[in-house]
Amino acid sequence: MTRPEPPTRVSIAAGPLVGPVLRRVVGMFAARADLPLDRLDDAVLVADVVAARAPAHVADATVDVTLRSETRSLDLCVGPLRAGGGRALVIDAAVPGVGNVIEQLADSVEIETQGEHEFLRVRLAYAGV
Amino acid sequence: MRSTTDEVAPHHSDIRLTLPARAENVAVVRHVLGALSEALGLPRDLNNDVRLAVTEACTNVVRHAYAGGDGSIDVVVRSTGGELELVVADNGRGAAPSPDTAGPGYGLPLIEALSDSVEIESSANAGSRLTMRFRRPHRTPAMGFA
Repeated sequence: MTRPEPPTRVSIAAGPLVGPVLRRVVGMFAARADLPLDRLDDAVLVADVVAARAPAHVADATVDVTLRSETRSLDLCVGPLRAGGGRALVIDAAVPGVGNVIEQLADSVEIETQGEHEFLRVRLAYAGV
Repeated sequence: MRSTTDEVAPHHSDIRLTLPARAENVAVVRHVLGALSEALGLPRDLNNDVRLAVTEACTNVVRHAYAGGDGSIDVVVRSTGGELELVVADNGRGAAPSPDTAGPGYGLPLIEALSDSVEIESSANAGSRLTMRFRRPHRTPAMGFA
């Protein structure tokens, strides 16, 4: 029986590297999860939105994302975020004329509170054959 | 010879990656460094040298640090105007003689050849920490491929 792989954590100083690095890592893990191409694109789009919006809501000066991939699913955990930052990040993911990118593309979106900080948990999956 | 570029931003930047010490994750580190190089506009041959050196360092962790058990690789990247510093660390067995002697043993000499400076800290059962520094961009490449 194969043991589940421990999560990977990437921490990027809030700034111009967040987008390029995060989209690359998320793309790799989406491919590793064997998500089909359209869901892989969705995952990268979510990564781009997180990269663009999260720096305004992080608890420290870094954007931290924990990734875990399983067969046909990818889990992202963004944080620590400041208090209220989880909901604020989701709200900030709204794009005029498109809607809320995270809520529309993710299979689940949850905000978890740990002490003074929040974590945004996003799951992208593919249930098709 | 590496080309000079005006695109290299003089800002400070930090990336930290913590991954399970498995062979497939070495590729993740390489991709992150590729993204870093593109974002900073690093010369291609510097990018190649950095990626090859870090690949060797991470491969050493995967092969030797945990003696077949689970563990993690910690990769830290710091970029300043004149230098790129990369640290590859583990919490493994330290630099004790490895039971795995099948490899050619080129890893560390290669890293030394590719980088401008290397520091190794290691203690038994407390892990190892390899720090590589690469000056940029006026530097002759040790190798122009990866």
